[in-house]
Amino acid sequence: MRTVRRAATLVLVIVASLAAQRFRPDDPIRSEPAPRDIGDHPRRKINQYYDFYRNQFTGPGQSNEDPGGPFAAQSVNTLGEVLDSAWFTNRNLSHQEIVQGPTRKGREPDTSKPWTVVDAKSEGVTPGLEIIDGKGSRYLLKFDPVSNPEMATGADVVGAKLLHALGYWVPEYYIVHFKRDQLVVGKDVQFVDQFARRRKMRERDINELLVRVARSPGGRRKGEYRAVASLYLPGRGVGPFKFYGRRKGDLNDFIPHEHRRELRGYHVVSAWLAHHDSRSINTLDVLMNEGGKKYIRHYLLDFGSTLGSAATKSKSAREGNAYLYDFKNSAINLLTLGLYIRDWERAHYPYYPSIGRIEWKTFDPEEWVPNYPNRAFLNRLPEDNFWAAKKIMRFTDEDIRAVVATGEYSDKKAESWLVEVLTKRRDKIGRTYFNQLLPLDEFRLKDGSLTYTDLLAHFRLGEPVKTTLQWHSFDNTTGKLTPLAGETTLKVPSQASGGPDRYWAAQLTGPDSKKRVTVYLRGAKEIVGLERTAQ
Amino acid sequence: MRALALVLLAVAAAPAQTAPPTRAEELEQRRNAEGGKYGDDELNTVEKAIDWADDKRLLERLSRGVNGVRLVFGNLIPNAGFALGPEYYRDELRDGAVQLRVGARASIRKSMLAEAELLFPKLLQQKAYLEFYTRWRNLPTVPFYGPGPDSRKERRTAFRLEDASYEVGAGVQPLRGLRLGVTGGYLQTNVGPGDDSRYTSAETVFPAAGVPGLARQSDFLRGGVHASFDYRDYPSARKGGFYEARFDHFEDRTWNRYSHRRLTLEAQQYVPFANRRRVIALRAKTLLTYENPNQVVPFYMQPLVGGQNDLRGFRFARFYDNNALVMNGEYRWEIFSGLDGALFYDAGKVFPRRSQLNFANLRHSAGFGFRVNARNSTFLRFDVGFSNEGFQIWFSFNDIFGGSGGVAQSLYTTRYR
Repeated sequence: MRTVRRAATLVLVIVASLAAQRFRPDDPIRSEPAPRDIGDHPRRKINQYYDFYRNQFTGPGQSNEDPGGPFAAQSVNTLGEVLDSAWFTNRNLSHQEIVQGPTRKGREPDTSKPWTVVDAKSEGVTPGLEIIDGKGSRYLLKFDPVSNPEMATGADVVGAKLLHALGYWVPEYYIVHFKRDQLVVGKDVQFVDQFARRRKMRERDINELLVRVARSPGGRRKGEYRAVASLYLPGRGVGPFKFYGRRKGDLNDFIPHEHRRELRGYHVVSAWLAHHDSRSINTLDVLMNEGGKKYIRHYLLDFGSTLGSAATKSKSAREGNAYLYDFKNSAINLLTLGLYIRDWERAHYPYYPSIGRIEWKTFDPEEWVPNYPNRAFLNRLPEDNFWAAKKIMRFTDEDIRAVVATGEYSDKKAESWLVEVLTKRRDKIGRTYFNQLLPLDEFRLKDGSLTYTDLLAHFRLGEPVKTTLQWHSFDNTTGKLTPLAGETTLKVPSQASGGPDRYWAAQLTGPDSKKRVTVYLRGAKEIVGLERTAQ
Repeated sequence: MRALALVLLAVAAAPAQTAPPTRAEELEQRRNAEGGKYGDDELNTVEKAIDWADDKRLLERLSRGVNGVRLVFGNLIPNAGFALGPEYYRDELRDGAVQLRVGARASIRKSMLAEAELLFPKLLQQKAYLEFYTRWRNLPTVPFYGPGPDSRKERRTAFRLEDASYEVGAGVQPLRGLRLGVTGGYLQTNVGPGDDSRYTSAETVFPAAGVPGLARQSDFLRGGVHASFDYRDYPSARKGGFYEARFDHFEDRTWNRYSHRRLTLEAQQYVPFANRRRVIALRAKTLLTYENPNQVVPFYMQPLVGGQNDLRGFRFARFYDNNALVMNGEYRWEIFSGLDGALFYDAGKVFPRRSQLNFANLRHSAGFGFRVNARNSTFLRFDVGFSNEGFQIWFSFNDIFGGSGGVAQSLYTTRYR
């Protein structure tokens, strides 16, 4: 009987110790669990006006100010990297792959046969057309405003490629040039005209619609219509996602959106790309059907309001620099009679109609805001910013130049300006967020030593950071760090050995002793965790 | 055997209190526990209502009406009080090539208006228009303080203005922003005792001999030409300018006493700074009348000054005379997107002789206001203007200076699109 009790106690101790373990045997994992079949899922609507009200005035979702906060991101592994999922994919693309983006040769609209117009968006400043090409593929054609040829279409393409390379799910955008006779109205196509009447579409409607869009301003395409063709996503749209909470009925949606690092970091990405319209209405959950298994994939959409574009016109100086409404700033503006002029209000914007209004000199990533707040953006912690900055800094100047070139801007000075803006804004992001934490990353074990990259120095954003190092043994159950006397070099201590149940930690401290990185090793052979602190 | 059972029991009991051994299993457990169970996907009542209104294009339908029938507000003279009435409006006829508008309005102060318009706005590849317009008005509370720049505030009276006009107009836009137009028509006028319980009727205070047109009114043949250049960025302008010249002729067909011509010159310039978050709006406008030999300008066709579009510290139609000059300066700043603050200064005068077109004897007013903007237009303007005659509070539903082209400082303004 005593043996039995001992065995049972042993099992409980083992299981209990597993429960308390900081690192599990499979850490660091790389992806969330494979999506589960959720069957059919209803379409959900988000009203843009209510979304504004909800996010602006009620602050939904779990806030870092709530009891127990601040809340660390949850969609990450023990190295702080975002897990592959239906939200995000760590793509690590080559230069060519970055430039190609989500597009694939042969999937652009086929111009050898007329495109059949099957629907049209006639209201608004810039109309849109839904077409089916000769191969039967369905696209949405979006155009540039007459005042800004190439602006919105260029922004769509460039924005989508950069976001794709970063790891987000985005649609395929193709710039197309065509003449009027490329479009034919489909048989018995109904549409809602500019007078809000639902009626049969006629060829003349297309003509009237095209009067309101820009044409190619120069070159061999001069006079042709230029549009961006967005290939329909491979699944059924079930409505946008929110930047807080979870989607009811989606069995795979178990992490509150405000605690997803990829959505928190999307703020930094949006700041880089000046995507002031990064809100729910510009996202889409798509019900994928892969071999009979249905699950929701989460897409970002519509990048016509990135870069200098506000889709139907150039950005205003406010966009990206102030919320649509902000009590504090409004009070300041009111009480100072507008005599308090902020830096961004003094910014100089070169006149490039194809780019719109974007600059880098007054850009401050910490001050950048979208049109209205959302919980995921507000919950950003330094680790989230650091992750996003790291991703953005991986774009080389050459990557950016090549991606911008795919926007097919006919004014090469404008194109150069956009490259300059994106590279300078990228560097500001790196400098800002690498300085919030100890800027060390890419830890490796090589020849018995720990190596790392000083990101500030690596990207030439600052001087190398001077650090001190202390090795510890780490108790994976209690979380206790015990210093190893005299072990202060990058060389892994000789006593740091043993099996996979032994853990060690190298703690690097910067000139500011609050900034630390702790690197956790399992059995002195494998890096299993990173912890960055700034306090 | 018992030992094995106990161990199995311990293992079985453990998951209830402990996490799974691997991270993948932990996530799987969490997904099982939380996935799909939470979320506020159900639309609440407010969201449903907003969504329904949005879906049904309620605002659009309200503005467009049902089968063309809609309610319209205001657009009488400023002191007529709240006005409302039905209108039949079709702007989609022949795909927008023909527009028809027929409507009537009545105000709480018994002012009435009926009008009809037939417009062909897309002639010559949308570069020309042709318009037919007719209007009948009965305005029993038009204020009158006496003729000339020295009229006294305390002598406010009211008179009834009843008129009917029949107009045809045409115009072209040869270049972007440049508009040229001509108009012609017939105008019938009648002036009668005012019907405003607060003020006495004009004819009881002012002798008819000193107020041309008070005792006898005429019908007029009218015609005019117009040129304007508009390069403002938006209706609620933050940049650009608007320049306009009009010349109108009114020929008295009844008594041959009131024939005259009127020259209207207006310049608006908008000077932005701080990346268009601030703007200084400037406007100068003059109306000069040229009487035919032995003719006079009836008082109800004279230029007038005072009100929310010119001298905002004075009451509407505070001053009448043959000529008028108004200058405005307004500093506007963005409080937040959708709301601007404004500080303004106005100066102006009426004067009997054109030679008095100068900066002497100007009336002044200054004040502050707010502009509620949507889609680059002001849909609500609130102004408080101060002058040596006290202060005035104005709620207006148009852009600064009365919107595109400005509301002319006269009860009779020639229509040009």
